[in-house]
Amino acid sequence: MANESPPNDRLKSLWQNQPSEGIRMSVDEIRHRAGKFQKKIYRRNAREYVAGLAAVVFIAFEFWRMPDALTRVGMGLMIAGMLYLIWQLHRKGSARSLPAEMGLASGLDFFRRELERQRDLVGSVWSWYLGPLIPGWVVLMVALARINPGHLRHFGLTFAAFNLFAAFAFVFVWKLNQRAARRLQRRIDELNALEGQR
Amino acid sequence: MPAPPPTQDELYREAADTYDAALERLARAYEADAEVRRDLLQDIHIALWRSFEGFDGRCSLRTWVYRVAHNTAASHVIRERRNKSQTLVGLEELESVPAHRDGELAADRRYALERLLELVQSLKPLDRQVILSYLEGLDAGSIGEITGISPGNVATKIHRIKNVLARRFQEGGRHGE
Repeated sequence: MANESPPNDRLKSLWQNQPSEGIRMSVDEIRHRAGKFQKKIYRRNAREYVAGLAAVVFIAFEFWRMPDALTRVGMGLMIAGMLYLIWQLHRKGSARSLPAEMGLASGLDFFRRELERQRDLVGSVWSWYLGPLIPGWVVLMVALARINPGHLRHFGLTFAAFNLFAAFAFVFVWKLNQRAARRLQRRIDELNALEGQR
Repeated sequence: MPAPPPTQDELYREAADTYDAALERLARAYEADAEVRRDLLQDIHIALWRSFEGFDGRCSLRTWVYRVAHNTAASHVIRERRNKSQTLVGLEELESVPAHRDGELAADRRYALERLLELVQSLKPLDRQVILSYLEGLDAGSIGEITGISPGNVATKIHRIKNVLARRFQEGGRHGE
């Protein structure tokens, strides 16, 4: 870049001599804010776990009240599915890159790794998000159909419509995530092509 | 007796003293909103300080600082894109789009800087890293080390950057002289 054209030199100079906002922090302040940042992350995670566990506790409470054994099995499976989901959220959420890794990875490697992580997350939504809830749901529905409360008119129709809606919601979430995974894969392919030309 | 290796705090201080202004410009290139930009710059400084715990001198301090800063900012862009569904373009696309030339660009430095920032902020993260490094005056080798792009590709991208900048700014520059 020794033979730089004067306009580009001017642009570089313009860029490098931008007025500064003069934001500067001392090491103590950085350390303090890093601690606060970490606490914020812990609190956010804790909120998510508490919300998930609250739903589990609610189902568990209902579990004890249900006289029907099959309904209890369904609820038990639902609780297990939700606990698995919370654990997966924790596991996948803590897989983020550490600052030291950011220094070791070039922009290309880091960006690709982040995209791959996201692609794997959305691409495997069946195995960690939707799938674990299905056994509990199916057993609960079978139990409900067996009980078939007589006081509900058009029970069959309502039951079918409800399950159709639930199935549609599951497939919709799955398709949406698949599309996102394909879009991410295209961006990863672009990066791989850049590397392949080395 | 060899001198003890610098501590995490010492490394951070050296990096902040040397690259403070460059990091501010980098944050400006990744975030247009002043309030969010301050948070991003703070995140970059925190990531930098934390990163020095694992600095082993495998690369130069400059490469390390730019990698951490760019990668932190790229994470920010990925997060923001999820929220705003913002469309970013590549240098190749910019090169093929007819450029809007403006005679006032060179005359009004602030306006030129705004246009330059707009252009940089519209780029995909990796292309943004290349153009930023170019504007910071880094050579092709250093840009390759920071971005991980091959020297051949860095050269191609720099060629494109020069074309895009020339088409958008050069004409105005002549008028303004």
